[in-house]
Amino acid sequence: MGALTKERDVRAAYAAHSGELYGFAVRSLGDAGLAEEAVQETFLRAWKAGERFNPEIGSLRTWLFAILRNVVIDLGRARASRPRVAEGGVEPSVEPLEQALLAWQVEEAMRRIGEDHRRVLLETHFRARPYAEVAEELGVPEGTIKSRVYYGLKALRVALEEMGYED
Amino acid sequence: MRTEDHRDWRLSLGAYALGDLPADERAALAAHLEGCAECRAELRSLEGVAALLPLADPDRIEAPAVRPPADLGARIEAQITAESSREDRERRRRRWRLGIGGAVATAAVAAVLLLVALPIGGGESSPAQQVRFASLPKGVSIDATLEPHAFGTEIQMYVKGIRSGTLCRVFLRGEGGRTFSAGSFRYRWGSDSEVRLSSALDLSQAAVIGVHAGDRTFTAPISSATAMVSGAGIDST
Ligand SMILES: [Zn+2]
Repeated sequence: MGALTKERDVRAAYAAHSGELYGFAVRSLGDAGLAEEAVQETFLRAWKAGERFNPEIGSLRTWLFAILRNVVIDLGRARASRPRVAEGGVEPSVEPLEQALLAWQVEEAMRRIGEDHRRVLLETHFRARPYAEVAEELGVPEGTIKSRVYYGLKALRVALEEMGYED
Repeated sequence: MRTEDHRDWRLSLGAYALGDLPADERAALAAHLEGCAECRAELRSLEGVAALLPLADPDRIEAPAVRPPADLGARIEAQITAESSREDRERRRRRWRLGIGGAVATAAVAAVLLLVALPIGGGESSPAQQVRFASLPKGVSIDATLEPHAFGTEIQMYVKGIRSGTLCRVFLRGEGGRTFSAGSFRYRWGSDSEVRLSSALDLSQAAVIGVHAGDRTFTAPISSATAMVSGAGIDST
């Protein structure tokens, strides 16, 4: 897709990316109504600035997220939660909104990997349950849990890369 | 390094990267890593992802995915169509050499804004009429340009703000109350919001233009005046 100037381009962009944009808007704004507003404003701005979209520079998805990020800031999120000064008086290096976007992407990537891998990562890592316990619950050898953690992490990396993540 | 060892250790790299490997295994794997560049490289690629995991919230991961409301796309499309058809209309007005003086008449004053256009050439009179539907639901706008022809009336209609896919049936009603179909179209977001229709009724005989859109009907009166008239057209001669 070239410049996003036609209504049908916007329609295609909406079909492809509205779910993710809305998911992040809800995550960062914490309100479904505001999230709708943010997504609507994002596509309107994208359409108005459609001439400036260049697929050779970056993906449509990245461009839309960049617009949404600005919309979310405009909606007052940034003012409501300024970066807090961390312990020791050091400013955190990541803005809350950037962090929210990153967090949302990791959560989204976790949702995209296979159920077996997600389950094992959730139970063993996020919920810190022993491998043996999870193995018993799932009725698989402990070694299987370990290999699912490994392949799950690899799958997570692929899912994140699809969203534009780079080391 | 034996190959079987390497393969076993490799599967432990995920747990190692996450810091979830028991201390004894951890020490043994660290020893293997000393001598295995392949495992070291693999570990590096996993560590980047592992470092991001603390950002995620397990409850959010497991929560049902949020979906935008089904009609959000239609609302966005209506807004974009509105913006673009406004631009189209501006262009059209320039083309027809029409200036709509002042703001659109308020609904209380007039149900319709009438304008008689002069063709670009300026010479012969081939008066077209522009009709704006009033008292529409918020966000909806319907405009029509009516042009007399020997076969009847040609209608250009500009619609915005209704649900995509809505079937619209257009008609003209004569002064005697008889209705003449002007055809139908389906409003689609993303397509051109302008449609061209025709009706057998002479424009000079037409009193009302109407649209059945889905289960609603919108109508607007048509002035039968053929002189150049502009304004709200209620009491003007
Ligand atoms: Zn190795």
